[in-house]
This record gives sequence, structure tokens and C-alpha cells, in this order.
Amino acid sequence: MNTWLTTFLIFLPMVGAALVWLTPFSKHMAGAVATLVALLEVALWVIAVERFNFATGDLQFEQQHAWFRDLGSSYHVGQFGFSLWLIGLTVIAGAAATAYAWWAGRERARAYFGLMLFLTGSVVGVFAAQDLLLFYAFFEAMLIPLYVLIGVWGGAGRLGATIKFVVYTVAGSLLMLAAIIVYGLQQNTFDLTQAMTSGNRWLFLGFAIAFAVKAPLFPFHGWLPDAYRESPPEVAALLSGVISKAAAYGFLRIAIAQFPEPAHHFRTLILALATIGLVYGSLLAFRAPDIRGVIAYSSLGQMGLITLGLFATNELGYDGAVLQMVNHGLISVSLFLLAGMVERRTATGEFALLGGMAKGRPALATVLMIVGMMALAVPLSSAFAGEFLILAGVFQHGWGWAAVGAIAIVLGAMYSLRLISAVLHREQGSAVSDAALDLRRAELAIIVPLILLLLVLSAWPDAITGHSFGHGGLVAGIQAAFQAVAK
Amino acid sequence: MNTAAWVTLLAPLASAVAITLTGNLLSRRQAGFLATGAALVAFGAAITAFVTMVGKDAEERIAQTTSWTWLSAGSFHVNLTLLTDQLSIMMMLIITGVGSLIVAYSVGYIDGDDEERRFFAYMSLFLFSMLLLVQGGDLLLLLAGWGMVGLSSYLLIGYHQHRAAAVAAAKKAFVMNAFGDAAMAMSLFLLVQHTGRLDYAGVFENAPGGGALATVIALGLLGGALAKSAQIPLHTWLPDAMEGPTPVSALIHAATMVTAGVYLIVRCHPLFENAKAVENLAAGLGAVTLVMAGLIALVQTDIKRVIAYSTMSQIGYMFVGAAAGSYVNGMFHLMTHAFFKALLFLAAGIIIHALHDEQDIRKMGGLGKKLPHTRTVFLIGSLALVGVPPFSGFFSKDAIIASTLDRGTFGLFLFGACLIGAFLTGVYTFRLYFIVFHGEQSAFAKEHLHEPHGRLEGPLSMVWPVTILGVLAAVGGLVQFAPVWHPLTRWLEPIAPSFAEATNTQEFIASAGTVALGLLGIYVAWTMFGAKTRPVPQPVAAFEAKFWWDELYDAIFYRPAVAASALLRRLVEVPLVFGSINELTRGFRIGSVELARVQNGLVRSYAFALTTGLAVLTVIFLVTK
Repeated sequence: MNTWLTTFLIFLPMVGAALVWLTPFSKHMAGAVATLVALLEVALWVIAVERFNFATGDLQFEQQHAWFRDLGSSYHVGQFGFSLWLIGLTVIAGAAATAYAWWAGRERARAYFGLMLFLTGSVVGVFAAQDLLLFYAFFEAMLIPLYVLIGVWGGAGRLGATIKFVVYTVAGSLLMLAAIIVYGLQQNTFDLTQAMTSGNRWLFLGFAIAFAVKAPLFPFHGWLPDAYRESPPEVAALLSGVISKAAAYGFLRIAIAQFPEPAHHFRTLILALATIGLVYGSLLAFRAPDIRGVIAYSSLGQMGLITLGLFATNELGYDGAVLQMVNHGLISVSLFLLAGMVERRTATGEFALLGGMAKGRPALATVLMIVGMMALAVPLSSAFAGEFLILAGVFQHGWGWAAVGAIAIVLGAMYSLRLISAVLHREQGSAVSDAALDLRRAELAIIVPLILLLLVLSAWPDAITGHSFGHGGLVAGIQAAFQAVAK
Repeated sequence: MNTAAWVTLLAPLASAVAITLTGNLLSRRQAGFLATGAALVAFGAAITAFVTMVGKDAEERIAQTTSWTWLSAGSFHVNLTLLTDQLSIMMMLIITGVGSLIVAYSVGYIDGDDEERRFFAYMSLFLFSMLLLVQGGDLLLLLAGWGMVGLSSYLLIGYHQHRAAAVAAAKKAFVMNAFGDAAMAMSLFLLVQHTGRLDYAGVFENAPGGGALATVIALGLLGGALAKSAQIPLHTWLPDAMEGPTPVSALIHAATMVTAGVYLIVRCHPLFENAKAVENLAAGLGAVTLVMAGLIALVQTDIKRVIAYSTMSQIGYMFVGAAAGSYVNGMFHLMTHAFFKALLFLAAGIIIHALHDEQDIRKMGGLGKKLPHTRTVFLIGSLALVGVPPFSGFFSKDAIIASTLDRGTFGLFLFGACLIGAFLTGVYTFRLYFIVFHGEQSAFAKEHLHEPHGRLEGPLSMVWPVTILGVLAAVGGLVQFAPVWHPLTRWLEPIAPSFAEATNTQEFIASAGTVALGLLGIYVAWTMFGAKTRPVPQPVAAFEAKFWWDELYDAIFYRPAVAASALLRRLVEVPLVFGSINELTRGFRIGSVELARVQNGLVRSYAFALTTGLAVLTVIFLVTK
């Protein structure tokens, strides 16, 4: 079964999506079936973790079938240790988002839940594809449901948000497509495991810009505030928690692993953009007027931090970045779902109208406090571990990067505490009525597992850092290539 | 011993988790008992470990226990390791001992509050964090504990979360400490780069032995220590932290957390000894802090703020002691200070409690007659604070001051500052004592003073911890009297051998000077506030304004951050990002209209487009091939 595991992980949600689209389920049933499929997907992933051999750094659960033999393209999927964790993040976040949408209720439910499942499957495909054309197909397949989810089910400004999102991502995707075609033709294969590394800087830039738009990195984030603000909360959760990680994964798996010389060449530029993004995002988050604004801009900052780790191009940085991808994914999903829960009760996310929600709502207060503390990377949390590794890694290229990063972490404390106290503390806000309930059981059932995962990771961040790359394999290859370049 | 160490660490954590999860199942009072019980269990385990350790030879007293690898990347590993040695056991005993007394006191103090459970959960979380800080066998775990105590401090300062002042004070404390954490993190990055590890033994062995690198490493650690211990220039959060409930001030902002900086210097003394300049800087800042805080304390009118500034000042002494190379005396003063300062805060808590939460000393006066027991313990605490023999502060503070005489010219500067500080301590401490307890009972006190609880001056759970602390503050200093017996020195010697030792003559000079100046300070306070024979001098503007530190930070950090954020939004975010994309979408719409014109239905234009396209593709293909 091992060879089929990856394929199952990709296509189980897609089959689920087809099932929900084609069967005339009631609104309630559609949500229930989608949630069930999403949970089955999580169970499947747990089986994969159990069977995974973490000692080796090689590709596992590999499956390859001929497709376009003449083009050198095939259906080739498989997982490295770090892809396994990112797929785990995807399926868990997907399950939480689907369950939340089921509980909150969405119009045209069959279409909606089908799209959610399809989205989950596509993202898993992105993390598993080992063929560039296949990677591109999944990358695009991931964007299409997002356009629809934002454009149809979004808030009042959804149209503008969708157009911006489409323009940015399509521009990025076209660059990537061009880069893929040229690279594949040059190498005579589209297979990532067989293609040689390349020193072509234009190709590197094609990939890098596509990923920089998707992450997003400063200054390619024009689509971000609107998309995060206008989406339904669970879609925003997936966008910032999971989809952005596809870009970070692309940096690692393609831009760095296949193009070590250009990555080395452009490293200072990318580190600079990432650092600017980190500080810039944190500063804007610190003054954002509403909950989603804070989460959106803090995500911009966090993606900058993750990119810092990746382009530190040493083991500290890679391990820290993978850990931080999972951390930020879980934190961001939890925060957006919590934002949705607060907005359901108050019909607003504006700080000026909120406040004092802790009183009489102990569950909400506890949950938001814990997630907020994770978000500011309170020491001993897994986010702290991730940030520490990333900054220790980038420190080796110069203390300045780490110093600016450390200042951004202080800013992180400022915006997280501001978010917490503006929602929970001070006098009761005008949009908060006494009738607004504490978190319901269903909401707790969705959010508490995410928090438990974060707590487990905090007790044992090495679950990820010690089990992402194994011995030999991808990172060993990258390191060797970088050493060769440096000489 | 290892099991005992784990029990000490985990008992408070278990209590915090249990109180959070059980919610309303646990009554408020039960939550208090649970937290107290957990603290006592931790204390018992710490004593067990201590007794085991005493039974061993000096060389075998260090024990390490590792549970699992917490974090790794390549060859870099951080294990979850507890280190139990002479230094950590001393801290464990102080934290759990004084901690259980204060948690027990809180049961009476916080009684009747809506959210008592939350309070006790936070208190337990704090004890866990503080123990992690001192028990962790690794610099990263130290940093983790360092941040966690900051978190619990934040939660407890902001415990009254509807009060805007409390929320603001909590945030200020956290952010200021985040700066310290960031500075510490920087030196950890350096250590990772140069030694590849973070466990104490490995770091001390492999760290750069001098030069700029060693200086920067020590500077980063000092930054963390200054923020946590509220030393100039990172001190402004501590007075504001008095917004928290009084037991919190006693536990976190007097007895334990704020002294963590001293622990850090002693624990990492090899790193500081590699950077003499930083060590002197630490001692110098301690000296400046102890004088400046003493001056500000002279004019404060909030009972807790007076004690808070006095805490800053006393930690200044500890910094002088530890950084001038007299580690034992720094730790000794840390211990006696924990006794008498916790005592002063808890006694102040009884007064505040009796006066319906009034903290302004101008509304107090003549309370001695109604609260004789509190007055007695407060007097003991005050005498210990001033350093009058035979109370505990005398032994520890004089030992620090004497050891500065062993440090040459720089030592003389420290010595002078310490003597000025001793005089100021006498004045502000007894100003407080005389104003609160002496003279006629004020109108406010007459009106508001609680009826006593039976024959006691507060609930039983509040009175007995104060009494125990009173005894400790009175006799706790007898543990060591440098000229005659020094068990503490022998105990800590294997971990942190001091390099500044005073001779008996120096001890005598220091003691005579300190005691004389302390008594003079008390006399001055008496003539002004007790006997009222002298008019109270006009307050000095600089003292009143706390030397304008708050204004300075507002101007150099908070406002620039706000301004930068607004500026970036106006100059970058809106025009560049939103503007460009709006232009782009507009262009997109216009472009699509233009493009629609291409579909003109003429075969010749289609054919032209087709051939051009093919030609371009062929060229690309040939070039890339």
C-alpha cells in the first residue's frame, strides 16, 4: 500500500469533492459528508506518519507512471520528511476549516464544500508532486477554487479582492510556467528527481517571483489585505495558514534545490526583502484597525521570517523554517477561525467597537490568550523554537539580519498583545452585548485540537526539526551544491 | 535527587493545568488550596533534594537529568535537561519556600474576587516558569524560563483586566522584557555560531575567552538581566507593575523574578569574567540604579511604589555584589531580600486590605494602634531593609559593600554609591513607616478601617505567612557572618568562586559606615515625618518625574514605531501596493476591451497573428536548444 499512500492522500479529497458535487445532499448533509471525508484524510495521514521512515532523507511513498514520455514528464509523486509535515498541516487545517464551515453554515453548500475538498487535495498535490508539470497543474488547481470561494462567498468587497488576487497570482503563474517549460526542455525532463541543477538566473527569478507573490513577500503583497479581509474566515485561514506554505515549499524544493548558484547569487537581495517584509508587516500589524488586519500583516511578517530561514541555507535555517511553517500554519488557522467566531458574535472585527469579551467568557478568553501567546512566540512555545533556529541560522550570514529579526519579534509582542487586550480586556466595547455567548462546544471541538497540537509541538518541537530531512537526501545535496558554489 | 527535581518543577505546572481544565468544577477556595498544596509539594521536593545534596561530597553534588531532545538542527541539539547543583537548589528553596507562603497568603487576600481561579492558575504557572528558569541545564531553557516568567508576570499584572491602567502596565512590562529577551537571544546566536551548543558546561568550556566577541556575548546577557531585574536603563516597567495584586508584587516583583538577573550573572559568571568591561558596566549600572531609585522612592506617595523603588535599589546592591565579583554576597542578599521584601509587601497588603484597597500613604496615618501586629512585622522588615544589626539585611548588604573595597579605584566609586544608598534607604523606608503608622489616625483611616477579623488583623491565611516571614527577616541573615562563619560561601564556592573578598578590616569599615548612615537616615526621617520637628522639604522635580525615563522611551521608541507605521501606510502601502494594483486592474479592464477588438473576424489578421506567433516560438525553441 505504501506506494499508493501519496496518491490516496491527493485524490481522497478530490473524490470526496466529486461526491459532494454530484450527490443531491441537503445543505447539512453536504457539510457533514465533507467533514467526514476531511477527517478520513487526517486518519490516512496519520497512517502515513506511522509508516514513514524518518532515518533516511530520501523520497518515500513514491509512485511514478508514464505520462508524456516524449516530453520527459510523468505522474510522479512522493514525500520527503518535510513534505509529510506540510501535508499534515494541510489536511488538519483543511479538516478544521471544513468543520467550521459546516458549523457556521454556508449558502450553496454542495458547491462550497466540494470546492473546499478540492482545494485540500490540490494543496496536498503541490507538496507531493515530483514532476514540474504535475506541480504546475496542482498549483493552478489550488488557485481556481480560491478565486471562486473568495469571489462568491466573500464579504462586501469581494469583487475587488478577487480581481487583485487573480491578477497577481496569474501573473506569477505565467512566469513560473515559462520557467518550467524552458527548464524542462533544457534538461530533457520535467522530473525534479532527475533534472540536474541549473545556474540560469532568469529561470530562478521566474520561480522565485511566482513564489514571492504567492507567499507573499514584500513588495508583492498587494492582494493580501483585501483577500484576507473579504474571504470567509475559514478560507482566509487556509490562505494564510496553508496556501502561503506552498510558496515557501516551492522556494525550498525548487528555487533553492534546483538552482543553488542563482539562489546563492540572489541571497542577499531575498534576505533583504524578507527582512523588510518582516519589519514592515509587523509595523503595519501593530497599527491595523481590526482583527483580520493584524493577522494579515503579521502573516506577511511571518512569511518574511520563514523565507529568512530558507535563504539562510544552513541546517539551522531549514529546520527552523519547516518548523515555523507548521507553527504559523496552525496559529494562523486558529486565529482566523477565532476571528470568525468573534465576528459572528459582534458583527465586526474593529478594535474600536470591541473589548471586554473576557468577562463571563472564560473559554474564549483562555483559547484566544493561548493562541495569541503562541503567535507572539512566547518562549518555550514551538514558535519560539522555530524563530530561534531561523534567526540563529541567518545570524551566520551576519548579525544584522538576526538583530533586525529580533527587533521584529519585539514588534510581534506589541501587536499580539494589542490584539488580545483590544478584544478581551478593557471596558466592554459597544459592539459587544452581554448576550454574546462564550465559545460553543462545536467551536471548542474545532479549535481545541489545533491548540493541543501547538502545545504538543511546544513540548517537543524536535518532532519536526529532528524528523524533516533525515540523513543524506535532499538537504545533503543542497548543502554540497552550495559549498561547491561558494568555492 | 533527580526525581525530586522533576517533582519540584512539575507540581506547579500540574496545578495550573488542573485549575484551567476543571473550570467551575473546582470552587474558588479549592483552587487556592490546590495552588498552595502544589507549591508546598514543590517546596518539600526541593528540601528532599537539598538534604540529599548535603549528604554528598562537594564534588558529587551536581546532578543532571535529561528527558528528551527538545530541539535539534543538524549537529545542534538542545535537550530538556534539569541541572541540580548548589546554586539552583538555593534558588529552588527560595522560590518554593517564599512562593508557598505567598500563595497561601493570596487565599485570604484575593478571597471574594470573581475570577480567583484564574489568579491561582497564573500563580502556579509563574512558579513553574521561575523554576524552569533556575533548573534548566541549558541556556535556551534559561531563555525559555526567562520569557515564561515574563508571560506570567504580564498575566498577573493585568489580572484586573477591565482596568485600563493595569492592561497598559502589563503590556509595558512584557514589551520591555521582550527587548531584554531579544538581547539575550542575540548572545545565544553568537554562542551557537561559535560553540555549536548551549548547555552550560559546553558553553563555558568553548566560549571565546576574551576580545570583542566575549564582550558582545556578555553584553547581550546583561541586556536580559537589566530588563528582568528592572535596572537602569530598562527599569520603568517595575513601578507600573504595582497595578497587579499585592501578592503578585511580593512574589514576582520583589522576591523571585526580578532577582533573576542576579542569578544569571552568577550562573554565567565565566562568560562575564571573560568580559571585564561588561562586568564593570553591570556593577556601575547597579550602583547608579541603587542611588537613583532611592531618590525617587523619597517622594512616592503610593505605598507599593515606595517598596517597588526600594526593590530596584536593593537589586542594584545585588548587581554591585555579583558583578564586582562577590557572587556569594550577591546571592546572600538575594535570599535575605526575598524574606524582608516579601514581608514588607505582604504587610502592606494587610494595610491595603484593611483600608478597602487604598494605597495612598497621604490618606494613612496612625495605623499602628489598630494594627499592632502588622506594625511590628513592618518594623522588622524596615530595619532589615535598612541593614540595622542584627536583622537579616545587615549581614548580606554589608558583605556586599565591604567586598567593593577589594576592587581598587572602581570599587571606591561603588563603595561611595552604596553608602549614599544606605542613607537614602534609611530615609525613605522610615518616611514610609512613620507616615503610615505614627501620629494621629487620619480621617480617611477612621472612616474606612475594616473591623478586625476576630482578634486577628486579617484572615488567618494572611497573618501566619507574614509572621513566618517576619521571623525569617529577623534571623535569616545569621546564616552567614563573613568575619566569623561562612557556610554559604563554602556551599556556593564550587559553582561560583568569588574573586572579591573583603578583609576583616574592610568588613568593619563598611559595617560601621553603613550602619551609621542608615541610622542617620532613620533619624532624618524621624525629625521630618515622625516627630515633625522639621518641615518636609519641597519635592525635587526630577525625583517627582522619575528622571523622565518614561518620557524618554515614549519619545525614542513608542512614538517612532507609531509614526513609522503611519508613514509606511501612507507612503508605501497605499500608493505602491494598492495604487499600483488598482491601476493594474483598471489597465486589465481597458486591455480586455482593446483585446476584444482583435477579434475582428478578418481571416487575414488571424493568419498574420498565427504566422508571427509560430515564428516567435521557433526562434525561442532554437535559442534554448
